[in-house]
Amino acid sequence: MIIVYHLTVMRPILFLALLLPSLCLAAGTEFTVSIRNHQFEPAVLRVPAGKRIKLTVVNRDPTPEEFESYELHREKLIPGNTSGIVYIGPLEAGRYPFFGDFHPKTTTGVVVAE
Amino acid sequence: MKRSIVLTVGVAALALSRLCIAGPADYVYTPTVEYGEREIDFKAGRANTHDADQSSAASLGFGYGARPHWFTEFYAKYESQGSGPTHFDAWEWENRFQLTDTGEYPVDAGFVVELERPQDHSEGYEVRFGPLFQTDFGKVQLNGNLLFGRHYRAAAGGPMEFGYQWQAKYRWKEAFEFGLQGFGDVGPWDNWDPADEQSRRFGPAVFGKLPVGVHKAIRYNAALLHKASSGAPDNTFRMQVEYEF
Repeated sequence: MIIVYHLTVMRPILFLALLLPSLCLAAGTEFTVSIRNHQFEPAVLRVPAGKRIKLTVVNRDPTPEEFESYELHREKLIPGNTSGIVYIGPLEAGRYPFFGDFHPKTTTGVVVAE
Repeated sequence: MKRSIVLTVGVAALALSRLCIAGPADYVYTPTVEYGEREIDFKAGRANTHDADQSSAASLGFGYGARPHWFTEFYAKYESQGSGPTHFDAWEWENRFQLTDTGEYPVDAGFVVELERPQDHSEGYEVRFGPLFQTDFGKVQLNGNLLFGRHYRAAAGGPMEFGYQWQAKYRWKEAFEFGLQGFGDVGPWDNWDPADEQSRRFGPAVFGKLPVGVHKAIRYNAALLHKASSGAPDNTFRMQVEYEF
């Protein structure tokens, strides 16, 4: 009886603990975008819709930049002369703008899912 | 009669001394960490119960994304009961750890560890910890957290308590998002209180982020929670405002 009770109590915790590794799917297509002179290269990134995307952001400037996009629901600081990984999607077909939060006027780009 | 009064006071004192996982100023943790971000964080809340004094709580903190997967924050916490004055309640040190990169898996995972030192040293130290989960379904963001808490080195020891918190929000616009939040305390983690004695509350919530300069923003969220069990306050209003820079 005690064992049954404890299993009842612990069920939601165990469910969540077991759920996570089962959801560890392999990453999808990989892309790279660079930041140079406070501009994204390429500024237009075409990716397949419906897939999880592994995006490597390489900051070639000596100053930090933050990859930010409300539409993609991502914010990630990339220190100067380093790179970082941003996972996005799976996305429905459409345009998803992103920008650099430290230089929002010049560091702009868009992901086009198609 | 005298005996019943003593018994009532005793039960009330016991109830007050028990660890409450969710205070009126608490918020729903998220598993994401923003590296390098600094923030000044203000939280406040007030809980009203029909036949008891209202309780209020507030905190002022400073947080910093010290590492890509570690955010740390120090708080000074204040509280008041009924018509009594607001007084300093405790220091708190909160640490959130991001265990998976955002979006790497269908569910993002994190972990929170808090250490609180109440002003009343007879309460010892309070430790809270637990896993944090988040996922997106299109424009809907879901969060669910499990929290465990216990007092150590306290004059009156108690069992490890278990609680939970959740939220669902629709990411309509960056400046204004809306949804629901809920908090629950179920009692000792291995011997839950009867359902009608647990504290469960939920209600509508709003969220948003307002840019105020280059890499500076004000982020807010607030909720009006209603009781979903007899062990909860009738109504709780809670809010949080952060200045990020």
